[in-house]
Amino acid sequence: MGHSHSEPHVSPLSLYFTVFSSLIVLTFVTVGVSELGLPPTLSIIVAMAVALVKATLVATWFMHLIHDTKLNISLFLASIWFMSIFFIFTTFDMASRGNVMKMSDTFEFRQKRADDNVRAGNVVVPDGIVDPEHATGH
Amino acid sequence: MSSENANQKHYHAFFFHTMDQQNSSHKLGMWAFLVQELLFFSGLFMAYIAMRYFYPETFSEVQTRNLLSIPMGFTNTIVLLTSSLTMALAVREAQLIPVQENEESKKHRKRMIQLLVVTAALACVFLVIKYFEYSHKLHAGTLPGKFYHFAEWPVFTDTDGSILGAIRTDGSIDVTSAPHIFFSLYFVATGTHGLHVVIGVGVILWLALRAKRGEFNSEHHSAVENVGLYWHLVDLIWIFLFPLMYLVK
Repeated sequence: MGHSHSEPHVSPLSLYFTVFSSLIVLTFVTVGVSELGLPPTLSIIVAMAVALVKATLVATWFMHLIHDTKLNISLFLASIWFMSIFFIFTTFDMASRGNVMKMSDTFEFRQKRADDNVRAGNVVVPDGIVDPEHATGH
Repeated sequence: MSSENANQKHYHAFFFHTMDQQNSSHKLGMWAFLVQELLFFSGLFMAYIAMRYFYPETFSEVQTRNLLSIPMGFTNTIVLLTSSLTMALAVREAQLIPVQENEESKKHRKRMIQLLVVTAALACVFLVIKYFEYSHKLHAGTLPGKFYHFAEWPVFTDTDGSILGAIRTDGSIDVTSAPHIFFSLYFVATGTHGLHVVIGVGVILWLALRAKRGEFNSEHHSAVENVGLYWHLVDLIWIFLFPLMYLVK
């Protein structure tokens, strides 16, 4: 710590109320945007962008990272960094799985097998819902 | 060290040279724990990304069928954000308690206790709303994995009872639908978060009791600050859980 004394940094009350009102407004924004019927990808991007702004407000002002030591800030940022690696590389793995996947792992194959099983009576469904004649998928 | 012994306060542990060193060590330890918490929750968020990647229609359909109550999720978000504010204000009051005990100390300590009690009360409101959501799902049958038995969106199983997919409204079967997987994620993620809220109520009330006994002042309140950090982290996780579970179509 750079300080030689123990006096903590006291933020003014107005700051806390400003951050709080921003968080409430952003909550209304995120609910409002979800009602607009945006395409899924755009809707998830907007929702996550708003959540990131809210998270930054909480971490910076409520968690006092702005007045914290470089060590604690680095610790926090390092966790975000490793989380990003975790998310991005795992997503790469899922996205490239089609190249190495066996035929029997695909939804097409599983759908066909399930349809065959319905006709053969090997599938358990709630009574009277599935008509085996019309069981075909897509 | 020995020259300082005369000035040693009972809350100043002998193995720290100064209160600053003691406080910053406490805080570093807390941040190490919080970072671990973030990495722990990232596993749940990764599970969400993976399942959404494999079953995109299921996740959209949960929203278009309104299987989660947006008003309840929204209310809980506001409740949790408000509790974060009262917690931050409680920490601020702790920062303002003069080390030399006087009327000012009493005033700020009293306000701090009030704010802590309000924070714990709001946390309980969150849990009560969560309880109503859970019990509704218990009755509807929108439950995790093999416990899923929602009549309006039925699933089909093989002869061993493992769920293979869902049944469309026209009666055809669909292996690309997996509502039971969405609800597994929903219950594990909100349940783990809810457990953190329960623990939060406990530690916040523990702080209030300690303050009631006259503890904490501007140089000795790292416990208040650290519980505050924990509580804000619980809020932070909900900030992401709410749109992902309740809103994104």
